[in-house]
Amino acid sequence: MKFLRYMGSPLEIAAVGFAALMVLLAIIGPLIAPHDPYEVDFFNRFLPPSTEYFFGTDATGRDVFSRVLYGARLTLASALVVIVIVALIGIIIGVVSALSGGLVDDVLMRFTDIWLAFPPLVLAMGFAAAFGAGINAAILALIITWWPGYARLTRALIVETKDKDFIVAAKAMGIGKIRTIIFHLIPNSLDVLFVQLTLDVAAVILVISGLSFIGVGAQIPLAEWGAMIADGRSAMSRAWWVVFFPGLAILLTAVSFNLVGDILRRELDPALRRREF
Amino acid sequence: MNKETAKNVAVYIGQRVSLTAIALVVLSFMTFTLGQLVPGDAAVVAAGPNAGNERIAELRVEMGLDLPIHKQYGIYLSKLSRGDLGKSWFTHQPIWEDIKDRLPASAELVFLAMLLNVLISIPLGVLAATRFDSKIDGAIRLMVMAGAGIPIFWLGLILQHYVAGEAGWFPIAGRISFEYRDFSGSTGFLLIDTALQGEWQIFWDVLNHLFLPAITLATLFIAVVTRTTRSTVLRTLQEDYVTLARSKGISEYQVVVRHALRNALIPTITIFGMQIGWMLSTTILVEEIFSRPGIGKYAVKAITQSDIHGVVGVVLVMGVIFLITNLIVDIVHLFLNPRHRESVQGQ
Repeated sequence: MKFLRYMGSPLEIAAVGFAALMVLLAIIGPLIAPHDPYEVDFFNRFLPPSTEYFFGTDATGRDVFSRVLYGARLTLASALVVIVIVALIGIIIGVVSALSGGLVDDVLMRFTDIWLAFPPLVLAMGFAAAFGAGINAAILALIITWWPGYARLTRALIVETKDKDFIVAAKAMGIGKIRTIIFHLIPNSLDVLFVQLTLDVAAVILVISGLSFIGVGAQIPLAEWGAMIADGRSAMSRAWWVVFFPGLAILLTAVSFNLVGDILRRELDPALRRREF
Repeated sequence: MNKETAKNVAVYIGQRVSLTAIALVVLSFMTFTLGQLVPGDAAVVAAGPNAGNERIAELRVEMGLDLPIHKQYGIYLSKLSRGDLGKSWFTHQPIWEDIKDRLPASAELVFLAMLLNVLISIPLGVLAATRFDSKIDGAIRLMVMAGAGIPIFWLGLILQHYVAGEAGWFPIAGRISFEYRDFSGSTGFLLIDTALQGEWQIFWDVLNHLFLPAITLATLFIAVVTRTTRSTVLRTLQEDYVTLARSKGISEYQVVVRHALRNALIPTITIFGMQIGWMLSTTILVEEIFSRPGIGKYAVKAITQSDIHGVVGVVLVMGVIFLITNLIVDIVHLFLNPRHRESVQGQ
């Protein structure tokens, strides 16, 4: 148990390694998958994990390992799409709000506050169901529900930065407003935003897989982790591996992205640099 | 509270109340829009497969579908005010009646999950803070990380299969055992009803059915609160009044419990309050697994039956409860925390 005392670093190294591995698998996973994730083979149903099928096979004889690999791409790509779009919307609203001030600022921020006051999971479920259930419906639903946090954060960051000396200097040098915003204001707020983005990868993965599990996200034959769990649950007593491995993939991915976010926060945010947690 | 503060607090409460009121209106507008997004013609669907064109046209007028959209929204609002959320396609009951019948089961689950949350996360957080940087602290940190990253629907399936199924320590599913299926009470809350009637055996049975779903639901929240409790206790342990208490020779236990914990708990209580709404919405990921007849399971059932109005009804009810509990928590926080009260600024 001695390693627990020094857990900080080896665990963090493992987390960074695993997060990097997941990103790599999302890119090359389909290339190295030993089987076709959608190939049905009724002679090989519910085979336990073996050297041929590392994670066993499911109710229709599909290779769970290959499906988890394909799922890495689908899950991470969906999460990435959500987060990039949501961050863009949030940054635009936050910047406009912080720089215009007055009535525009008030209206935009009240609107953001109202949106922030709703429970995101429930709202995303409602939108995804109304859009007709599917991975695209879930992505769209999450974009609609997830932006306000970024608007609030960006506004706070910009308000904090906009009167700093280097911005005043940029203005004094006659640099245009839009140029100042894009090349000076936003980059100097990016570190904090980036920490939030990393932490949100984990949160979005959990919500997307949850939406797929209850049936408004990715639909069942699709190799998405949440949908795979939903698909395998009725046969758990016969084949635990169909449910176990996709869930483990979600757990490890979410934990490692959370840890990477924590590390980034510690390293990028001077106020938090004294190791508190 | 001096006059200045009292005025600020009043203004703040006024703002919070009006923000909530606006949010409620926005919510109603959203649920109205969600209902409109259903693909296909609502009148055709409502008329059924064998209806003629005349019947469909009749229904269109009856349902107000020929009216301009703002009038339809007005009708929707006046229906809402009478508690009319429409009719469910799969239970053939008014949706509000369905939800009302299922709310106690969900409330019971949230209550027990919150109880577990309080009983587990505060001691864990305090333990981690007082043993800062020790093995225990490290182990608790590991648990917090796992709890924050685990997909709870997966955890639920695994607990159900191994702890309830294979080990047989808890019932697999449902709210009450088959032999007690005829039990009924006046409140609908089985824990209260069984206690009122002195049916302690059934009470125990109900509690057993609640345990696994509640621990599943609580996991993420326990992780969050343990983490915050740890850091707030750590911070208060460095405050001057704690140093003073220590220098007076008071035992470390007294310092932690009487001085540090009491002050550290105020933000934690607020977090618990905010989590009520979150927990209720998270029941959509848990109840269906354990076949608990609550509104979370109702929502999932409505999804599988493509009953958009059932889903929207749950969105509305959960949204309203979420907004109102958070408003109450915010106001209570003002009265619990003098520092927060002083810092409030009216505009």
